[in-house]
Amino acid sequence: MSTLASAGFWEFVGVVAGIYTILALGIQLQFGFAGLLNFGQVAFMAIGAYTMAILVVKEGWSTWLAAPLGVAAAAVGGLVLGLPTLRLRSDYFAIVTIAFSEIVRYVAMNEDALTGGSQGTIALGPVGQAAQYNGQWAQFQHRMQAWLGLPSADATMLVIVWLAALALLASAWAVLRTPWGRVLRSIREDEDAAASLGKNAFAYKLQALALGAALAGVAGLFYAWQFSYFSPDDFAPLLTFFAWMIVLLGGLGRVFAVPVGAVVFGFIFAGTRFLGFAPFSWFASDQRAYLRLIIIGLVILALVVLRPQGLLGKREEMVLE
Amino acid sequence: MTALLEIQQVVKSFGGVRAVDGAAFDVAAGSITALIGPNGAGKSTLFNCVAGSLRPDAGRIVFAGRRIDRLPTHRIARAGLVRTFQSARALARMTVLDNLLLASIGHPGERLSGLLLRPRAARAHERALRERARELLDLVGLQAHADAYAGTLSGGQRKLLDLARVLMLEPTLVLLDEPMAGVSPRLRVELLDHILALRRERGITFLIIEHDLDFVMQAAEKIVVMNEGRVIAQGDPASVQGDQAVVDAYLGTAAVHEQPAPA
Repeated sequence: MSTLASAGFWEFVGVVAGIYTILALGIQLQFGFAGLLNFGQVAFMAIGAYTMAILVVKEGWSTWLAAPLGVAAAAVGGLVLGLPTLRLRSDYFAIVTIAFSEIVRYVAMNEDALTGGSQGTIALGPVGQAAQYNGQWAQFQHRMQAWLGLPSADATMLVIVWLAALALLASAWAVLRTPWGRVLRSIREDEDAAASLGKNAFAYKLQALALGAALAGVAGLFYAWQFSYFSPDDFAPLLTFFAWMIVLLGGLGRVFAVPVGAVVFGFIFAGTRFLGFAPFSWFASDQRAYLRLIIIGLVILALVVLRPQGLLGKREEMVLE
Repeated sequence: MTALLEIQQVVKSFGGVRAVDGAAFDVAAGSITALIGPNGAGKSTLFNCVAGSLRPDAGRIVFAGRRIDRLPTHRIARAGLVRTFQSARALARMTVLDNLLLASIGHPGERLSGLLLRPRAARAHERALRERARELLDLVGLQAHADAYAGTLSGGQRKLLDLARVLMLEPTLVLLDEPMAGVSPRLRVELLDHILALRRERGITFLIIEHDLDFVMQAAEKIVVMNEGRVIAQGDPASVQGDQAVVDAYLGTAAVHEQPAPA
């Protein structure tokens, strides 16, 4: 049980939970407030990460210029997806978003010249040279570590990611309680009724989709910086569904339910590696890794039965029509 | 009186069925006009065309001198023509007050750019809006429910909420789709009083689909009768009641005053 006590391991779990918080906040904005079923969130994460990495490696841009451009590219990706599809009924839209996310991943896998293909970012540069995009970020992280007096790079990342996550959560909370957020909720409730009150539902859905995509882009940046290497495999649809689980765990329509869901999810997800006792010990450790997916699934099932509103959601909102 | 709304030879087909087949009539400014007819006469389809939910295949719809049959719903609403729905569309998981606050045209706080660039104007608009919403809640008697979820209201209360929400927009023309359906007798009287008072005091024009003929005869000064997508008669209540085409097509052989009001 030595890993259980290791601070380094839990720092890592915390970093990932912070990244997932930012990713899932996008889903909360899109679905919890605007009613958009976006099952392609991971694609925007990929667009953000790849845009940043490509600009840094291939164009020699500063990280601090490439990063906001990565976020902007993710938002533009949201607009590109939304313009032709947001007039579709919500279930058709959901299907299109899954397809979109797979298209993005397959493009990244096959456009070797642009993305490094299935070898990932290591092949971004000239042949035979291992490319890396996070030199400037690593420097910044070192300086932060020294300045804050933290013991490890992961601990520093933990602080940076959660500061960013909290700033984004606070901004989302502030903007969603304005009249703008009220219009979003009305569209979630009944698009036709909102239109009859003079609201351009399409424009609001497009904004929600683009802003949620931008959040995924931010998550993509931190993901890229944390792992200092990524490939198209990192952006499989499973990640989108992790974000959905986090939102459902935490509760719909509540901004600060997202970090709660992400932390609970992160602990369940990481915690299953400590299931070294019977009956779990009957399985090999690589098989046990899949148990966590089953456990998360069971938790979601139990939640639907016992607490459909999630940990922080409001029960009465689940029964109103 | 001048025509506020002109329906000119409107046609709308679904597949091979001409739901609205050349309907034409005017709604005079400041009037209460009722649109009646048997089920399937095309009344609701015509309503949807006027409100912008459906686009007519042919014909023109002119509101306040401006052609609106190619505009989307939200632009028509902003022009001052607002509808209610047959089943009141209360936004269930929002409070009653929020339902009303939603009904505002040109609120700077409803735009991200407005929130950033004109925060003071947004706050001022919101304050004025809240005041107005409270007044309208008082008017329809829902003030005690201001902070309740709209989903907790009864069917009749939702109709009142719907009406109050429409009034928030200060419309010139209101389309009411079966306002009396599913409303208790006590609330019916109240609703009728509200509609009459609104026309009298604010000069709001109403076009109303309604099956409750008692209500229609009491409230409307003009009745338009549709059957099979066409207007078969129009005029004041007395003349429509005596119209043979109406008696044949819509009322069968029974006279209007003998028709039982729907439950």
